[in-house]
Amino acid sequence: MLRKKKLIVVLSLGLLLSTIVGCTQQTNSSSEDEFIIGLDDTFAPMSFRNEKNEIVGFDVDLAQEVAKRNGWKIKFQPIDWAMKETELNSGNIDMIWNGYTITDERKEKVNFTDAYLTNSQIIVTLSGSDINKIDDLKNKIVATQAESSSLDAARALDGFIENLKDGKIIEYSTFNEVFNDLESGRTDAVIVDEVLARYYMNNKGEGLYKVLDENLGIEEYGVGVRKEDGELLDKLNITLEEIKKDGTYDEIYSKWFAK
Amino acid sequence: MKIFEMLIPLTWEGLKVTMSVFAITLIVSLPLAIFVALLKGSRNKYINKFTSAYIYVMRGTPLLLQLMFIFFGFHYIPVIGYAFTRYQAIFIAFILNYTAYFAEIIRGGINTIDIGQYEATKVLGMSKSFAFIRIILPQVIKNTIPPLGNEIITLLKDTSLVYILGATDILKAAKSVSNTYSTFTPYIFVGFVYLGIIAIMTNILSNIERRFDYYR
Amino acid sequence: MGLVVENISKSFGKIKVFQHLSFEVDAGSVLCVEGKSGEGKTTLLRCLNKLEQVDEGSIFIDHEDILKLKDARKIGSKIGLVFQNYNLFPHLTVLENLTITPNYLKIMTKDDVNLKAKKLLKSLELEDKESIYPYQLSGGQKQRVAIARACMLNPAVLCFDEPTSALDEETSLKISSIIKNLANEGMIVIVVTHDLKFSKDIGDIILKLEDGKLNQTL
Repeated sequence: MLRKKKLIVVLSLGLLLSTIVGCTQQTNSSSEDEFIIGLDDTFAPMSFRNEKNEIVGFDVDLAQEVAKRNGWKIKFQPIDWAMKETELNSGNIDMIWNGYTITDERKEKVNFTDAYLTNSQIIVTLSGSDINKIDDLKNKIVATQAESSSLDAARALDGFIENLKDGKIIEYSTFNEVFNDLESGRTDAVIVDEVLARYYMNNKGEGLYKVLDENLGIEEYGVGVRKEDGELLDKLNITLEEIKKDGTYDEIYSKWFAK
Repeated sequence: MKIFEMLIPLTWEGLKVTMSVFAITLIVSLPLAIFVALLKGSRNKYINKFTSAYIYVMRGTPLLLQLMFIFFGFHYIPVIGYAFTRYQAIFIAFILNYTAYFAEIIRGGINTIDIGQYEATKVLGMSKSFAFIRIILPQVIKNTIPPLGNEIITLLKDTSLVYILGATDILKAAKSVSNTYSTFTPYIFVGFVYLGIIAIMTNILSNIERRFDYYR
Repeated sequence: MGLVVENISKSFGKIKVFQHLSFEVDAGSVLCVEGKSGEGKTTLLRCLNKLEQVDEGSIFIDHEDILKLKDARKIGSKIGLVFQNYNLFPHLTVLENLTITPNYLKIMTKDDVNLKAKKLLKSLELEDKESIYPYQLSGGQKQRVAIARACMLNPAVLCFDEPTSALDEETSLKISSIIKNLANEGMIVIVVTHDLKFSKDIGDIILKLEDGKLNQTL
């Protein structure tokens, strides 16, 4: 009878569902000294994967050092960068630690530790370019990454974008594409995170580019935690301070930003 | 080239994710879709409307949104309050979504079966379920292989959406390597991987279609 | 033994197709039902085969009212129908078309089913078409397969809906002799047709369905 068949289907659905529920582990609740750190695992050099598929990077080493000193167990959870605050506030992760720029808008949603890395928005051109100052960019084509603090910095500077060619700035979804545009000659200059840019230029060869002396602003990276996690915030700040004072920070820094 | 030292292992890891999401969704959704297609044809007003609503919602919102809602939004719903893990959310979203699409296709296939087939089974005294499984369904399968094949190919490409919940499929693996080495090559490589998988699938689908070519 | 139809009526909403029809057919007889298109001949046939539900009345086949049949699966052993467009199962071979229902109903062993099927096919000159699919058959051959399929269940009554509408003269004669043979073997055959020549040839009783009533013409 059809009714019997429907019953069988419903039962097997239930079985399947409970198998899925059982098989995959619940990682939403972290116990006392166990924390989940959310990061974008494609973001070199802050956190990315090596050929053994392990997550490595400046932020990874720093986080592991902090965890060691506090006796914490930490797990790195790859997330989509656009969802970071949602992941944090819904409890899927306990910290955002990934080249997370401190801004006033973000402060409304999360608490930041003290800054642990300074980054600036630099302007990069090809080495043979005759652009040397921000003023030289008038009527030139400039590109940067969409939804980045680089774009925010460009917008924050009065009249800057309006003075560019066609009164607009070109946006791409990744910095790779941005640099690609520069190299192909389609763009005259790009605005990028110094941290990212130095990594990229390192890969490609320094001689290709020129970095302007002027920059579009300095910003700082911090670790993001939920507003209610005051204790965690304090511990992080204390440990980060320690690490900076006793030279461990410099060790880690020079490993990743060797220059 | 150094880049392939990273690209190949990472793509392999990503491929496991891509293929498991693909395979499990396919294996669960297809039979489920037959069931849903039957529900949609039910004469019971409530079952009928409920099923239509489910199909409408699943086809009317982006899969990306469904992934986000099931993972991030679900525990806000008061009564349930349960939060799915990432992979639970991925499978639930994909299965719910694709069952709806497959069900519509199968429903369409069922509708094109001549009513005479049903009547013949009736006058011969076959039960409804026997008639459906042995007479109607085989014919429906033959009709629906081409449109189902299309959806299956779309499913493979949709697996790249798992990035939103932090999972790494082959496309995200490409992004990883691309960012690390500041180059586009990984995307081109992964593009070929997709083409390769789809070539194999298209081949399988044509074989199945040919198998059903023994009549009509 | 025989078919006794008592007082059946059928309406679709406000449209009255036929009212208070009664007739009897003895075993071994052929009843032809004539009438203009749209008069309800096919509906009558469908009612007899329970594809439509009559509003009132009884249909007795060998003293059993099939409208009160408890087991719906037994219908094929009481009355069968050869559709106008045959409705063969396209994905099954000719042999499978014949064997699928008896095997499902488990009325005989599989071997006996096969034997009976082959015997029927032979009697209808289709023995070399066993493994062929319906789409490869001609119209007349399809019809014979449809007849065989129904006969596998040994119905007391076999109905034909416009059997000659798609056939040429020669094939019509063939069908004519098949129907006469069936009657000779004791079957009750009911044929709905508007081919007057055909009904004159095979019909022991000819009735005309007109204005919802059956009138004797022979």
